[in-house]
Formats: sequence, structure tokens, C-alpha cells
Amino acid sequence: MGREMMFMRIRALLAKELLDLSRNRIALVPVGIITILSLLLPFGIAVAIPFLTGQELGGDADLVRVSAVVGGQEHLSPSARVQLFLFQQFLMLFLMTPITGAMALAAHAVVGEKQARTLEPLLATPVTTGELLVAKVLGALLPTLAISLAGLGLYLIGIVAMAAPGVAAAMLSRRTLLLAALIGPASALVSLQAAIIISSRVHDARTAQQFGVLIIIPLAAVLVAQFTGSLWLSATALAMVGLGLVGVWILLALFSVAVFERESILIRWR
Amino acid sequence: MISAQRLTRRFGARAVVDDVSFEVSRSEIVALLGPNGAGKTTTMRMLAGLIAPTSGAIAIDGVALTRATGAALRARIGFLTESPGLWDRLTVRENLGVYAALYGLAQPERAIDRAIEVFQLSSHAPARAAELSKGTRQKVALARALLHEPQVLLLDEPTSGLDPEITRGVRHFLDGRRAAGCAVLVATHNLDEAERLADRVAVLHERLLAIDRPAALRQRLTTGRLIIRVTGDLSRSLGTVRQFDAAAAIEGTALVLRVADAGRQTPAIVAALVAAGAGIVEVRPEMPALEDVYLRLVGDSNRA
Repeated sequence: MGREMMFMRIRALLAKELLDLSRNRIALVPVGIITILSLLLPFGIAVAIPFLTGQELGGDADLVRVSAVVGGQEHLSPSARVQLFLFQQFLMLFLMTPITGAMALAAHAVVGEKQARTLEPLLATPVTTGELLVAKVLGALLPTLAISLAGLGLYLIGIVAMAAPGVAAAMLSRRTLLLAALIGPASALVSLQAAIIISSRVHDARTAQQFGVLIIIPLAAVLVAQFTGSLWLSATALAMVGLGLVGVWILLALFSVAVFERESILIRWR
Repeated sequence: MISAQRLTRRFGARAVVDDVSFEVSRSEIVALLGPNGAGKTTTMRMLAGLIAPTSGAIAIDGVALTRATGAALRARIGFLTESPGLWDRLTVRENLGVYAALYGLAQPERAIDRAIEVFQLSSHAPARAAELSKGTRQKVALARALLHEPQVLLLDEPTSGLDPEITRGVRHFLDGRRAAGCAVLVATHNLDEAERLADRVAVLHERLLAIDRPAALRQRLTTGRLIIRVTGDLSRSLGTVRQFDAAAAIEGTALVLRVADAGRQTPAIVAALVAAGAGIVEVRPEMPALEDVYLRLVGDSNRA
């Protein structure tokens, strides 16, 4: 009964979050824009520029050398191997960038309720802090993942349609699956949970968003490393990182419940 | 039903609520009166389980309010916050729907329909909260607080900013809840409302200055003056009443005299006036308004 009630309350709050967001679609515009840009960028570099300049990717010795990290794709032409390397590298960027757009949603989650004066009646119900925070994280995560997965579909369709022969098949690997099914959602969970913690500790939405920007820094570091080719994670390494991220998320979730001070939020925030 | 024993809440060194004890029984409405910053909202929040007292104890229906019992007891309480706190982008029905689920109601749609009917919100049910007038928002917030039919109601300024018609409706509704056996605590600035609505009035100014029936509170400041209106010659009647108070006087169209015990002396005074040929129009002890009592209590507290 208790567990059933808990799920009922989480479901009710999550439904409210999604309904509220569906009527405020403009809040999702940054996520959409970032997703579209992330979609255009790899195709611009791996397909459009070589096509427009007439210079094959396989003709660039540095790119060919760097793309060797992909490994086990000797049957592909040098250009196809470089394309595969680029599409693999951009996949991580592609899966992570929507998170940056969703940060605003998560950062606003608790402080927004407080400022709208909707938090006090909510806290006067039997809802627990854990239930409230789970609903808040899922409320920002699910739309982000939906957009991310829709983009991933377009990304793969684009690769099938535009990449060199053999690249699409090579993309359907354990590594891609790990990136899409584990690293992407786990990174999103960690970032959004951190944003929720910030949202429940600061006193206004502007400060929450300013702190939220800090969470993007590690993501940016990963992306820079990707561009320079200095970071290549094998499927095994990705699985380890993914599990590590899940562990970090669990710790952050527990921490967020511990630092959510109902009293302080009601009394000190104005 | 609601029991607050020696409640104290400090913020730093400052006591916002200091050693406050009172009870609200079933079928009783108690009005919590006090100036801004008197600790009314803090008291309400403590009773609703939103903030913990620094010391003291709260029990709802005999169950001590603690961290362990908080969630279960909050399910039995209907709390109207100072601000309606509706989700603007959700409709009235959707706002109520979320709360029906949070309270785990077995038949949420039925409860929502009933709340909408009771508060005459049918025409507003499909409207988003952002589109509602202040009065309608307050009605929705009240409907939300009552959705799960709580036996304990904590209402912070329930009629604040409402027009007289809606105010009367709310008052009528609270009368109904009292008749249904609810314990109701209403924090208000509105003395008239407190007097009309409440069985007892608690005057709070950090400490509980007084708690009693409105009439009993007024009685505390009784001046001991008797006001008498008579027909006939007022000067002649004045002579008659001066047997009882040598300092009796005419004020406007009434005789005013000070008596030690109005209840015991009034029949004799009336009999003397009638014997002297005066017709009695009105005899009443001068009673202060609740406002005077309140201002006196709060003023004394400020000076202390």
C-alpha cells in the first residue's frame, strides 16, 4: 500500500510536470535548437565539407592517423573510417548536448515552485521529499531523452542516407548502444540531479541558472577532448564510465534528499 | 482534535512563537488573531507539519506530530496557505486532480466533481488558473484544501481580498464543516469575521494573549457603564438614576451611569425609572467592540 501510494504520488507529480511543460513549449526551444545544431555539425564536417571542397577525408593524413583508434574496421576505405570516427565522436556530443538545454528546466524546478508560491501547499500534502525530487528529475529527464532519442533516430537515418558505404553498419555497434542507452541517460541523470540540488539550495531562478552553467563545464571538457581526438573510450571503458555515472547519480539523489530543507525553503526564501 | 502544548519557535535568538498552548475541539472554529509578524503563519505551519517547533508538542486527533508521523498526519489536515499557490498553466480541474492523487483518493474524479460543485466552480473548471480572478483562485485553493475531506482544517486568511458575497459563501461553508465535526483554525486579520465565525478567538502576539469566546473577551473590558434610553423627561429620569450613581449623566439621548454589578442592579434601576413614570426603550451595558479588546491586548503586549 505504501509503495503503491508512493508511485501514485510520483506519477501525479510527473504528470503535472509534463503537462506544465507541454503548455510551455518555448522552454524546450533551447533543447531543440541545441539538438538540431548537434545534428547538423557532424554531417557538415563529415559529409558536406568534403563534398563541397572536393577533398576526401581519407586524404588528410592526420585524420586517418587519429581515426585508427576506432580499430577493427580495416574493411572500410580510409575516408569511410574517418567518417566512422567522426560520427562516433559526435555521437557522444550529440547525446550530451541536449542536457545543457534541459539544465534550465531542472535548475528552475524547485526554486520555480517556491517563487510561484506553489511549493507550500505541495509540501503540506503527504508527499515526501524523495518523491518530489524524483518527479522533478524525471520531469526534466524524460522530455530531454525523448528529444535526444528522436535526434538519435535522425542521426542514424542521416548516416544511412549520406555516409560512405559500410559506415552505417559499423555504427551499429556495442559502443553506440552503450552511448545511447547508458552514457546519454546516465549523464543526463547526473547533470539534472545536480541541477535539482542547486535549485533546492539557491533562492532565485537566476542564481540557479548561473550555477547550472557550472555543470556544463565537465561536459564541455569532454567535448573538447573529443574534437582533439585525445579521448577515445572503448566499449568496455564506456560501460565502466556509465556504471560510474549511475553510482554518482545514486549518491547525488541521496544527497539531494538530505540537503532539501523544507523548513529553510519555506522560511528563508522570499 | 488539534492540541498545541507550549509551542515555541525561535529563528536564531528571536522567538516568533513563544510558549503557546491551545486546543481546538471537534465542531469548533477558533480564530487566530494577531498583527503582522505575530506568529500566526508560523503557528499554522507548525500545526500543518511544515516546520518543527523549537520546543513544545503538537497532537492531531491524539497522535503526536513528529517527523515519523508527519506524512500520515498531513493526509488528515486541510491546509489553506496564505497564497493560493495554484499551477498557472494547469486548469482548475487539473490542479485539483494532482492533489486528489497526492492524497491517494480512491475516487478522485468524484471528489473533484463534488469540490467543484460545492465551490460553484463549474464554469471555471476548464479554465487555466492564470485566467482566474483573485476570488476564484482563493475558492479553488479552498476546494483543494477540502478535497480529501479532512477533519482538521488550518486556514490562513481564507477570505483575504475576497468580495463580500464570496466571503459570505466561505463563512457559510465553514459553518457546514463545523457542523460536520471538523476542527477549524482560521488565522485572520478580520475581526468582524472572527466574531461572526469563530466559537473562540485566540489573540496571538508571539505569546498567546487570550483565548475565549468573543463575548467573554469583550466582557473583560467592560466599562461598567449602563446605557439607558427612556421616553419622557430625560432630566427627571436623570434624577432618578442618580440614586444609584451620583455621577450619572445625559449623553446624547441616553442616560449613562456607572454601576458595580450591572446584572444585579439593572432590575432595580429599571423599576425605579418605571415608578417615576419613564418608559423604558433600551437598557444595555456598554460593551467594547472586539476590535477594542484586541487593540488593548496587543497594545498591552507591546508595552510589556
